[in-house]
Amino acid sequence: MIKVADQAIDWHEGMTISDLLAAINDPHPYAVVRINQTYVSRPHFDKTTIPDDAEVYLIPMVAGG
Amino acid sequence: MPDFKLEVTKTLDYKRPELAKGYNDQTLFVNISNADMAVKPVDQKTKETFVGGKGYDLWLLWDAVQGDTRWDDPQNAICIACGPLGGTPIYPGSGKSIVTTVSPLTAAPIDSNVGGYFGPYLKFSGFDALRIQGKASGDTVIFIDGINQQVQILDAAGLPENAYELSALLTDHFADGKPRSISVVSAGPGAQNTLIGCLNFTWYDAKRKRARYKQAGRGGIGTVFTDKGLKALVVRWDTVTADTNNPADKTRLKEVAKLHSREIVALDPKQNEMARIGTTHLVTIMNDHDLLPTHNFRYGSHAEAPNLGQEVYRRLFDPGFDGCWMGCTVACSHGVKDFVPLTGPYRGKKVFVDGPEYETVAGCGSNLGIFDPHTVVELNFYCDAYGLDTISVGTAVAFAMECYELGLIDQTHTGGMDLSFGNRASALELVHQMARGEGFGQIIGQGVRRMKQKFASEFGADPAIMADIGMEAKGLEFSEYMTKESLAQQGGYGLALKGPQHDEAWLIFLDMVHNFMPTFEDKAEALHWFPMFRTWFSLCGLCKLPWNDIVPEDNKDTAEPAKVIKHLQWYADYFSSVTGRASSPDDLVAMSEVVYNFQRIFNLKMGFGTRAHDKLPYRAVGPVTELEYESRAERYDTQLREKFKVDIEGKDTAEKMAILRRLREEQYEKLQDAVYERRGWTPDGIPTVATVKRLGIDFEDVLEILRENGVTA
Repeated sequence: MIKVADQAIDWHEGMTISDLLAAINDPHPYAVVRINQTYVSRPHFDKTTIPDDAEVYLIPMVAGG
Repeated sequence: MPDFKLEVTKTLDYKRPELAKGYNDQTLFVNISNADMAVKPVDQKTKETFVGGKGYDLWLLWDAVQGDTRWDDPQNAICIACGPLGGTPIYPGSGKSIVTTVSPLTAAPIDSNVGGYFGPYLKFSGFDALRIQGKASGDTVIFIDGINQQVQILDAAGLPENAYELSALLTDHFADGKPRSISVVSAGPGAQNTLIGCLNFTWYDAKRKRARYKQAGRGGIGTVFTDKGLKALVVRWDTVTADTNNPADKTRLKEVAKLHSREIVALDPKQNEMARIGTTHLVTIMNDHDLLPTHNFRYGSHAEAPNLGQEVYRRLFDPGFDGCWMGCTVACSHGVKDFVPLTGPYRGKKVFVDGPEYETVAGCGSNLGIFDPHTVVELNFYCDAYGLDTISVGTAVAFAMECYELGLIDQTHTGGMDLSFGNRASALELVHQMARGEGFGQIIGQGVRRMKQKFASEFGADPAIMADIGMEAKGLEFSEYMTKESLAQQGGYGLALKGPQHDEAWLIFLDMVHNFMPTFEDKAEALHWFPMFRTWFSLCGLCKLPWNDIVPEDNKDTAEPAKVIKHLQWYADYFSSVTGRASSPDDLVAMSEVVYNFQRIFNLKMGFGTRAHDKLPYRAVGPVTELEYESRAERYDTQLREKFKVDIEGKDTAEKMAILRRLREEQYEKLQDAVYERRGWTPDGIPTVATVKRLGIDFEDVLEILRENGVTA
């Protein structure tokens, strides 16, 4: 089980960020996702796996600078 | 403690007015050539037109200088203002000072938005703005004592040279046992001996019991400061509460402040964690999207970039509250405690380092090919202490390093120094040389534009390649984002009034990553709206981070997520509740449009401000060298084939680069056309008479400048 935006989500071995976004059916074009304290950018969503019990934050990044 | 003397040479007693709805309606004028001081009223028309902050600064500066005034003329002024909302301790990000002057780098107005307590304390002491002109014959300190209602000019002797010690000493000297009541503005020897000097604005960290500072970095304001003989400005004020601004509707103010403040407390830990790691989260994110400048903006990523990322600074930053203004819940001004420099006058001694922020990490790290966080922290420390802008230092040293690697300069020019990318010892030595005003560091400290001229005329370097790789526009060094793949951000930099700084329009993510603005018209609209709205923060004495760096959870589902509509309404409510001037979000943009266009015409007054001055070096637009092209060949080849429908079969890299360059430069020209039209400017980039009339800035001297430039309708 992992936690995404304060909601519990089923976890499976090898689950990537792309898998997660597909599972929660959120169409927003997230550029950045945080797994615990690690920031992962969109180019790495397909290959970055999420560990069990992780807390995942979907960063609605529109700005910076 | 050094043996120093401060002797009062002139005192002005004044009456502090009752602050009303965020305004005193008076400003302080100081001419340090003859120690002349005066308090002058602000009339209603000026207040309605220019709002405050940067608007007041520009108005006061416009009145001080002629079209031929140089940065080092006594007439040039340094103007500092807060803004009607500035100093509110319950609304996040409400403690900014805005500084303007005629820049030594651009010869035009420069503005900088900086934290620290000075601006709010200046206002609470009775002044909506401060204008300093003239030149002193010796080291001078100006002390504004808002408690005793006195302004003093003091002759100074024996004060420390660097801002690190000077800030601490003057805080202690003037505090009368209450160091939190003091804010100091100072520069340093680097500001004196280069053209890229910054100003340090202090705030007092009660937990760590030390004066800390933020920087008004861009455009050499610190250099003007030291050229005037100013050693420091000091302001003293007492307690600050939500009542101090005497807001028009305190109940509404408290409501909206609580909403925004609580939202940040709830969401920042789930988003960028700025209260813990500042802006350092951006390093790896930019690197992942090929946007982190490395090796003088050649490339946007590097395998070693994570060494400079938030995971490292999370460990280096000293945990605790780090708000540069009271009550700010973003609190992103982090620092490194007990840092021990390996070089310079503090070698082997423990110091506290304010920073680094993202720009410093990228400028003094990756862009120099340096991926050692400790070197970045040391460069950060010395730049601040010497009064040097870390962005200009980073971009200027990166240019010199690339010139060295390309063989345009060699060790006969650098004083025997190896300037290869990644040479940490050389980077640090250059900064020390800037402070001493000697060696090759002194040459780099003149900025990229002057380096290009010197290298060509004295060292025989090729001016064409330097024009392409020298990352300056309007004379100002680029801040630290790659723009090659974002046409909108090329406009964000190239069309920025003061030069390529990201605080007008940061559109890279919206444009390149999210593709929210696919057409020229979309980009032009963004390059109208974003600079206008961001300008508003500097009119009011605010930080922009609470607006769109931490956003509501449902923001992504709104019609225009990039604008963060919910926060726009909160800001309109905030403005209305303090000033009593009923305002909608559109009204905020309209206020900014007035000042923005006035600044464009100010550029024109100084001999700039037309299309020709909005040009970019090609490195900001596309690949300059074959190495750059080939490193991202698939991207460029695909763009030529699919977007521009070019048959690249059989063409070598040089041919493809030439075609790509022509096409991309044409796109930038088209973008300029679209933006100028959207802004109500002529095709030459000048506001039309109709535009200035619509905005209410059709003053006779404005119309005269337009006429002189052939604009009559």
